[in-house]
Amino acid sequence: MPKQQDDYYDILGVLRDASQEEIKRAYIQSAQRLHPDKNTVAGETELFLEAQQAYEVLSNPSRRAKYDATLPKEVDAPSIIQHEALVSRPSLVRLRESQVIYVHLELAPRAQSEQIPAPPLNVCLVLDRSTSMKDEKMDIVKSATIQIMKSLRGQDVFSVVAFSDKAEVIIPSTLHLDYKKMEALIHLIQPFGATEIYHGLETGLAEIRRNMEPSRVNHLILLTDGHTYGDELASLQLAETAAVQGIGMSCMGIGNDWNDIFLDALASHTGGNCAYIAKPKDIQRLLLNKFKSLADVFADDVILDFKPQPGVNINYAFRLTPDGGPVTIEDSIHLGPILQDTPLTILFEFLIEPSAVQNESVTLLDGSLRPSITARPNPVPPIRLRITRDVRADAASEPPPGKILSSLSRLTLYRMQERARVESEQGNYDSAAKHLKNLATHLLSQGERHLASTVLFEAENIKKIHTLSEEGSKQIKYGTRALLMAGSKEKVK
Amino acid sequence: MTIACPNCKSTNVPGTIFCVECGAQLLHSDTLVTQNISTAQVHEALASHPNQPQVSPQVDVTAWASLHLIDTGHMLPLVDRNEFTLGRITEGQPIMPDIDLSAYQAYASGVSRLHAILKRIGPHVIIMDLGAANGTYLNGKRLSPNVEQSINHGDIISLGKLKIQILLKS
Repeated sequence: MPKQQDDYYDILGVLRDASQEEIKRAYIQSAQRLHPDKNTVAGETELFLEAQQAYEVLSNPSRRAKYDATLPKEVDAPSIIQHEALVSRPSLVRLRESQVIYVHLELAPRAQSEQIPAPPLNVCLVLDRSTSMKDEKMDIVKSATIQIMKSLRGQDVFSVVAFSDKAEVIIPSTLHLDYKKMEALIHLIQPFGATEIYHGLETGLAEIRRNMEPSRVNHLILLTDGHTYGDELASLQLAETAAVQGIGMSCMGIGNDWNDIFLDALASHTGGNCAYIAKPKDIQRLLLNKFKSLADVFADDVILDFKPQPGVNINYAFRLTPDGGPVTIEDSIHLGPILQDTPLTILFEFLIEPSAVQNESVTLLDGSLRPSITARPNPVPPIRLRITRDVRADAASEPPPGKILSSLSRLTLYRMQERARVESEQGNYDSAAKHLKNLATHLLSQGERHLASTVLFEAENIKKIHTLSEEGSKQIKYGTRALLMAGSKEKVK
Repeated sequence: MTIACPNCKSTNVPGTIFCVECGAQLLHSDTLVTQNISTAQVHEALASHPNQPQVSPQVDVTAWASLHLIDTGHMLPLVDRNEFTLGRITEGQPIMPDIDLSAYQAYASGVSRLHAILKRIGPHVIIMDLGAANGTYLNGKRLSPNVEQSINHGDIISLGKLKIQILLKS
């Protein structure tokens, strides 16, 4: 693409009013991607030098001021991404108690923007080979892996790691695979040992880093069927580091004996998602779909940075599309990917404290959206996002936008099962059973008989034996999640 | 100012839209319509152009299709999205169709809450029955549930007994 005169702000991918802190962070991130010790693509050293020069000027307040004076006035160039933020109410109410307000955020490629080619992949499959995977599951995973290798395009980098309590590189990160040889190596994977996810992730990430390029979709896919013990925190830290470096993670849990809450958290740190594979025969289909959607990426992640506002809290955030999943709320929120044909949609719930509504207006969100568009080495300028609401004495009678209403109606069901699970863990069995029954009523009224009967069965279980079955709780969680996605975008075929 | 749920009487934080206890919608039923389909405008347009049964361009040039409700003569343009679920809304129901047909005798005609889905895929428009109790018919022929069926301009679909003519924008 023709390189227009990028100013120093564009080079670092920050806004003109960025703080010193933000400039520093952007520089460090560019350096991590482009440093001559790390980069592999011709021309990236030059980009690194540009970023360095930009940082030297912008990090010095007096030089920055001089430089700013030479810049033409900032024009709001239309971003290649269009975004829409809907809010559930036109105004807030001055109350002496807390109130909630919802924001529905949608990001999609701008229709007539530059054509972005399908990005090359750098994917590592991290396979659980613990004893529990033996026989059917292992066989299916192997044949799915082989099929994926065959579907790779010439530009894709691929690697495979198998782990139990140790990890082993089965196929080192390579550009052009020798299929015959690799196929034989895959067949040789034998199941043994216990599940220790940390080792698998660490080895898998190392493989990805060997061919790490900002122009690729760098992604790790973890397939497991078991619980990991004691290394959860260390694994989450690996995910956080990976997220900063631009590596995404997806998880797939097979069967019922894995920790969905942990794997959801792991994927969510990087903006990725976690899928539930109830039956081994679905492994192949879901894994191939995952690869298809990776090759269909427009922006592999969108990061929301925001200044915390006094009395305003993001209570809950959930990604509705492209892949439904909880969004971890932290300083820099990884919202997830935008696909060429599927927008990124997030529903936020804000809790507004009484102290915030004493003023005339409340800033719900003041920050920026940073998309990382794989096919462009220079960062895309962030999109400013500022949502404010006036404070009124009385509530407005206007109904919420349809998109909020319809997605929230479905999200409410998902959250009811979440709540029932937490309550059951805390020992509030009656309350958990009551919420499950309410959930079942709604599911029945929509004709979801099968899921409803699973929910009712679990409600009985809680009453009788004070616990939810692993199978039932996963079916309910991913079942209500699937309903959410079916309503948000594509109907499940 | 807390909101008491009409269904289970539990209290909810102001601004809540669905009861956190039982999931019922907390707003009044007159605000239950999820898609803002203004039929008033269409009626005016119809009145002023009696010879043009189709939606006049000034009303909605962006509509890719319109639903012509044969019994009542109403016209519902489909805009903005490529996919609409059809059905009827009942109080306290959390999942709602994109297009609520309750105003057009949906209940009496046997329309399910989530009855069918209309989708635009490229130049084609398809309909799929979502397992509705009273079925979906295309030009009098009952459709198998959950099977997509492509439809043409002027086709008549029936949701239960509710007849709708599909007018596609060429």
